[in-house]
Order: sequence, then structure tokens, then C-alpha cells
Amino acid sequence: MLPSFDAFGFLVSWGTFLGIYAILAVSLNLEVGLTGMANFGKVAFYGIGAYLAASLSVYAVLAVYHVAAAPYTTEGIIALGKYGGASPALDLGIFAASLVLGFIIAGCVGYLLTYPTLRVGPAFLGITLLAFGELLRIFLLNYQPLGASKGLSGIPHPFLWIPDPVLRERLYVLVVLGFLAVTLWFAERITNSPFGRVLKAVRDDEVAALCMGKHVPRVKATVLFIGSGMAGVAGVLLAFYMSSVNPNMFVPAVTFNIWAMVILGGMGNNKGAVVGAAIITFVDRILTFITPNLGITIITPDYVRWMIVGILIVLVLMFMPGGLVPEKPIKTPAWEAVESLEKESKEGGSGGDEA
Amino acid sequence: MTKPILEVKDLAKYFGGVKALDGVTLEVPERGVIGLIGPNGSGKTTLFNVVTGFYVPTRGEVWYAGERIDGLNPNEVFLKGLVRTFQIPRLFPSLTVLENVLLTPPRQVGERVLTAPFRSKWEEQEKELARKAVALLRKFGLGEYVRARVSELSAAHMKMIETIRGLITDARVYLLDEPAAGVAYTTARELFTFIRRLRDEEGLTFFIIEHRLEVLMDFVDYVYVLHNGRLLSEGKPDEVMSDPKVIEAYIGR
Amino acid sequence: MVNMDAYQVLTAVHIALIYAVLAVPLTLSYKTTKIINFVHINFITYGAYAAVLLYTFLGIDNVFVAIAAAFVIGGAMSVIDNVTVFEPLSRRGANVVILMIASMGLWIFYKYLMYSVLDVLSRVAKANLVSVLLRFETLPRVVVNGMPITSAFLTAAITAAVLALMLYFILEKTAVGKAIRAIADNPTLAEISGIPRGRVVNVMWFMAGGMAAVGGVLWAIFAIATPEVGDTLILQVFAIAVIGGLTSLSRTALGAFIIAFAENLGMAFLNQVFGVPTSFKPFITFSTLLIVIIAFPPLGAGGGLPYRFLRKRR
Repeated sequence: MLPSFDAFGFLVSWGTFLGIYAILAVSLNLEVGLTGMANFGKVAFYGIGAYLAASLSVYAVLAVYHVAAAPYTTEGIIALGKYGGASPALDLGIFAASLVLGFIIAGCVGYLLTYPTLRVGPAFLGITLLAFGELLRIFLLNYQPLGASKGLSGIPHPFLWIPDPVLRERLYVLVVLGFLAVTLWFAERITNSPFGRVLKAVRDDEVAALCMGKHVPRVKATVLFIGSGMAGVAGVLLAFYMSSVNPNMFVPAVTFNIWAMVILGGMGNNKGAVVGAAIITFVDRILTFITPNLGITIITPDYVRWMIVGILIVLVLMFMPGGLVPEKPIKTPAWEAVESLEKESKEGGSGGDEA
Repeated sequence: MTKPILEVKDLAKYFGGVKALDGVTLEVPERGVIGLIGPNGSGKTTLFNVVTGFYVPTRGEVWYAGERIDGLNPNEVFLKGLVRTFQIPRLFPSLTVLENVLLTPPRQVGERVLTAPFRSKWEEQEKELARKAVALLRKFGLGEYVRARVSELSAAHMKMIETIRGLITDARVYLLDEPAAGVAYTTARELFTFIRRLRDEEGLTFFIIEHRLEVLMDFVDYVYVLHNGRLLSEGKPDEVMSDPKVIEAYIGR
Repeated sequence: MVNMDAYQVLTAVHIALIYAVLAVPLTLSYKTTKIINFVHINFITYGAYAAVLLYTFLGIDNVFVAIAAAFVIGGAMSVIDNVTVFEPLSRRGANVVILMIASMGLWIFYKYLMYSVLDVLSRVAKANLVSVLLRFETLPRVVVNGMPITSAFLTAAITAAVLALMLYFILEKTAVGKAIRAIADNPTLAEISGIPRGRVVNVMWFMAGGMAAVGGVLWAIFAIATPEVGDTLILQVFAIAVIGGLTSLSRTALGAFIIAFAENLGMAFLNQVFGVPTSFKPFITFSTLLIVIIAFPPLGAGGGLPYRFLRKRR
């Protein structure tokens, strides 16, 4: 029944979504898996990145070519189609600027939001961030300069000047996976460092961490800055890939999807987050390829997919709390020092302990 | 007695209408092992909470080594060299014993987020701290537990590690909240012997809340008795134990 | 000058009553179990649809039948969740965050289960079930001083009053209610004094789920029933529960009035004076939530820390 299946095309589209979602999952893992901050507003920072990229690029293109029309009008969209890809330098410049600004602005918003929630526990932090995400969406739905409910479209792809669309897609997936590699490297490095040790201490018992001289609020704000910044970058990557954004791409269910990836992969393990993202985006991609060929079904396949994800989360929490790739102990050079000490005392024959 | 390292002057803490502490003045001399006793709800833990920065006092002052410390945040108080332990040990359960000890040294290079990814910048410091931590653990007979998860330890060992993790930071004063609670009699005595040893060998100061007077009284130099947020009595252990006011406070309840 | 007519005030009171019915059970369940329960959203939706389906398939247009059915459905869902998910998880020592995520998983599951069921049912009934306007007239319209009071308002007022009395009676006068309060105040002590925690908590869950579902019916006959009705109300419900510190039922009810009035009269004011579009209503809710969290941090209830990092020293 399946039509001719373009396996490589599938891999490219899966790779792009995998990259974007894995960045989100790794950043959420830093926040919740390592630091214990229940960020239920992840989608807000993702949305900030995406809308920043979208608005920056469409307004910049229109300004450079002196088009008076607003980007959400028909003339604006036509103009964007005409001028997008005209100048490689402009397209790439906008892309780079969006990435930098997306990280900084989303990060700063995350940083600022920690302060009102400093004195309350994880539950209130979660609710506040969830509410913030919804609020942002409602704002976008109603704010005309950002296209209101229709959103913005005609975002120039950074490689639009390359005539071959297939090559364009392939280059883009490399960029996305490159960002994922950097994110994962950074996350793994800070996890296996004294900083990662502090994060886990805050997660285990923030009162005790405070009593051990750690500036817990600063630690949390830092993590939320980094995590939100990473989500912002993911949003920027999404906006340029989809070439359009609208408020309904950033509903709370997206946050839940990211949570599902982290829980399935294993909370507290960055690689696990990537595994979780890979599985869930794979299923999603397969579904988008299959669904149009199913014809009319009694129940919309998308609903079934969500039901399965929901129940899967509960089952994983109940029967496999560690996830597919459980958390590993922190690896720092300290253990090398310990090993060499142990070897010395064994060679010295003293047996180690004095007492 | 030598000069006081920790001084509490007319300290009061009210929660709404409840006067948890109501004008307590006491001092802890350097290299002292000082007890703090009193019936349940007499304000002992509140006193610790105010001294270590958990609460801002309603009235009064706390001085540590010639510096006023009331109103500081708990982490700032810790960095001054004042360590507290909890009635139920609060180690970090997902970290190993070594990591629990390595966590405490302040201002580690690798704890800054921008230097953390670059191992070479903090590798030496980390190894140095690890050697120091192992040496400390071995000194107190815990060398074999370096890799153990905290949850695998006995209660007495947890309490010792809670104290040891302060040692690596050169902290001077320890506030221990019921170190012998829930510990067998002989282990409790070992624990207090360990405390005396730390005082003699490292020159540390201890201020200890304890309900088990039969253990405490054999080891402390001086005892303060709190009752209903006020100082009821103070003196050498045998003086306090024979004070009729103290006996009445304990039996009268 | 701003024109705040009696009709607007009446609408605000109407919404406040429904909010109170929705938010008080959230506070009750959090207070007793320390679970932020996202399934609360589903209770509301399922309650609203209990009324919709009774009407569509059985032609029942008596609002009190719908309310009773919603109470049973919400209560049953709530107890099932507790027995199958929350109890086993907390027995295994899951922390607040884990329980909250589990409830999120259940929320998504129930939400799309509802969508799936509606897919099938709307085919069977050959009717639109995704956005339903219900106007039951079980109670009469009343006109007071020329002011028409709708049947929906009267239903909401009577139901809220009955639920408040029921809650008061159960919590203050019965053994189960006293046990619920004991568990909320000090779970360890309650356990030691031999309170059968499992059963008592189930009674509490039944009441919490049932009340929220009844709130869903009240909302459906006032506004509109959609599969998203719970989702659209949750921001307000959480904000109100936070105003109540997630501990005080009466403060929560007060919060319902604060939010409802701020949203409706405050919005009307901003709209007329500054020309702020009414679609910005949720911003008022969120600002109120933030102000409450900053100015009156619900210490203790939310597991907050004794931080003073924002305060001047001494």
C-alpha cells in the first residue's frame, strides 16, 4: 500500500527533527534531570527562539530591500518569496544573528523567571513556567506585528541561494546535527565536572546544598539560563527549517513531548535524552509518512499517538524509573587520583586505612 | 575558658505570637565542646537555625570570630567557617561518599559554569582535593567507603561523614543537631570520642544539641539549658545536672 | 468614566462561583497528598461532557442529573488514578516532581482518550460534539429589580453553596474528614496514630475529582463545552489555588473571587480606559499569580526555602 519510499529523504527529515528535539531534551535534562527544576514551560523558550528568528529574518529582509509592506500581509509574503535567497551573505548573516540572539534572549528570559520563583518549591516553579508558556502563546495569538494567529511565513532558509532543494535539506541537517553535537558535548562536560556535582547536590537536597555553602539560587538561575538558551537555539533551527511559525506550534503538549523524551531516555543522563528524542521523533516521522495513506480512520491517528505517549510515561515512571539509559555516576579526574592512591597503598603494603 | 569564637547576644525569634527564642545570650569558646540541652520545643533547633542563617532574628545579634553574622544567608555563614549538621543526616543520596566530601570546598574552579567544560583548568585542583578527601576519610577509618553510595552506610558513618565534609573546608565551628539520636549506645560513645579527637587534633569547636544526656555529659566542657526559649541554666555538666530548675524542667513536663 | 453595570458584576460573581468549585478541590487534593494533579484538567472536561453526552444520547436536560453523573465520573476517575498510579508511585518513594509528571502523563492520556471517544461518538450520533452549547433551563429565570438572573447563575450559586456546606460538614464533623485534615497537617503523625491512610485519601480524591467535574458542568451550561475546556481554565484554576497557598480552602475561594473580578471588571476597566484588547485577559491572571508568588510566597506548602536573597540584609 505504501507509495515509493524515499529512505534517504526520510533520514534527512528525521535527522532534522531529531536534532532539534534532542537539543530540547538535553536542555530539559540539565534542568530537571540534573538540577531538579520542573520546567513545565519549556515550550515558551523554544517559542521565543523560533519567533525571534522569524521576526528578525522577515523584517530584516523587507527592510534591506525597502519593501513597505508588513510581513504578514499578502504583498509582504510575496516580497519575501522574491527576495529570499537573493543574497547568500544576507541569508547566512540573518541565520547566524538569530542563533546568537535566540540563545541570549531566551536565556535571559529564563534567568529572569527564576527570581520570582526562588522562594517556592518545584511545584510552584512548574506552574509558574507553565503559565508563562501559555501566556506567551496567547500574546502571540493576539499580537499583530508578529502575525497574530496566522504567524509569520516566508522565513528565508539560510541555504535558499543553493538551487537544489535536496542539497539544501542535506546541508541543513548537518548544521542541526552539528548544534546537537556541541550541545551534547557541553552538557556531558558540565555534568562530569564539579559543577555537575553541585547540580546533583541541589537536586538531591537544596537545603543541605545551601548549608554546604552553595549559592543555590545562582546555580538554578545559571542552569535555567543555559537550558532556556539551548531551547532558544532549537527554536531558531525549527523556524528556519519550517520557514514559517505560528502560535499553535507552541502549545503545552510540546513541553510534554520533550518531557516524554527525557523520561523515556532516562532522567539525569544526557545521552538518554538523545535516545528518547530519537525514538519519539522516529515514531512521529513514520506516522507523518503513513497517516496520509490510511485514508479515513475511525479515530484520528494523532490522538492514538498521544494516548500512547501519555500512558507510556506513566508506565516508564512506574516500572522503569531509570529509563532506557539510566543515570551514571559523575566521572571527574578525582577518581584517577583515588585510584593512584589506592595503588600506592597496596604497593606500600600498609593496607590503606590507618584506623 | 579561652576567648569566645561564637557569641549570641539577646537573641529572639518570634513566629507570629510564638516566642521560639526570647532573649538568649550565650558564648562558645574556641576549642570548646559545648552542649545545648532542653526539653522538646525549648528552642534549641531554632537557635541553630538563626545562627546558621536560616531565619533572621526578631531581635539580638550573632557574632562569629569578631564579625556580626546574623542576617547572612546560610551559604554565606558556611563560607565563614561555621558548619551545621542535621538531626537526620542530610547527605546527597545520589552521590558517592567521596563526592559528598568533594562537594564542600568553596570556590572550586570547576564549579564555575564557564570553566567546567574545560577539564585542564580544574583537573589539578580536583585531584588535589580528592587526595585530601581520601586522606581525611582514611584518617577516620572510612577509607574503604570512598566509592560507596551514601545510602549504603550505617547511621553512625553518615553522621561522621557529615562532619568530615566540613573538615576539608577548614571550617572552625561545628553545630551538631543531635548527633547521637537513633544511634546505639556504644556507637554514640564512639561518635563523641571522635568529636573529642577532632577537637584535640584539629583544634575545632563544637556546639552540640543532644537529648541523650547520659552520653553527652561525659564529653562536654560546658552546658547551656534552654527552656521555653530562654536560658534556664548553664555550667559544668555536673553543676547543671544537679540544678533543681533543670530537673524540674525535664520532669515537670 | 468607566461604566461598571450590574450585569458585569453579576457575570463576575457567576464566574467566581464556578472558579471556586474548580479550584477548591485542587487545593484540597494538594494539601492532602502534595500532588499537583494535572488530571484536574480532565475532571473538568469529563464533567462537562457528562452533561453533553447525557443530553445528546439520552435527551436528559435536567442539570442536576448531569451534575450527579459528573460527580460520580470525576470521583471515579480520581480514585482510579490514585489506586493505580499515585499510590504505587509514592509507596516507591517518588518525589513531588515525579508524581507531577505522572499526572501530566495521565492528563495527556485522558485528553486524547476523550478526543478519540468523541471521534467515534460523533460518527454514531451524526452530530458535532466538539463544540457544544448547552442551555439547560431546569431552574427558572428570575428577574430581580429589572435584572434578569439566568438559570445557569442560579444553578451555579445553589451548587456552590451545597458543595461548600457538604465540604464543611464532611471535613469538620465526620471522622473521615478529621482524618483527611490530620493527614494534610502531618502525614507521619497521622500514620502513627493509626489512621487508615489509603481509604481516607481515596475518599478525599473522590470528593476532589467529583467537585471539579461538577465545576465542568457549571462551566458548560454557562459558556461552551469543548474537549479543551479544562485546558483553557487551568491557568486560572492554578492561579487561584496558588493564591490559597495550596493549603487554605477559604483563601482559595477568596482567590476565585479575586481572579474572577480582576479578569472581568479589571479587564473591562483597562479596555475602556486604555483600550487594551480583551484577548489580553490571561495576562491579568498571570500578573496576579506572579504578584502573589512574590509578595506572599506560599512557604512550606510549596516546599520553599528560607531564601532571603532578594531582601535587604537586616
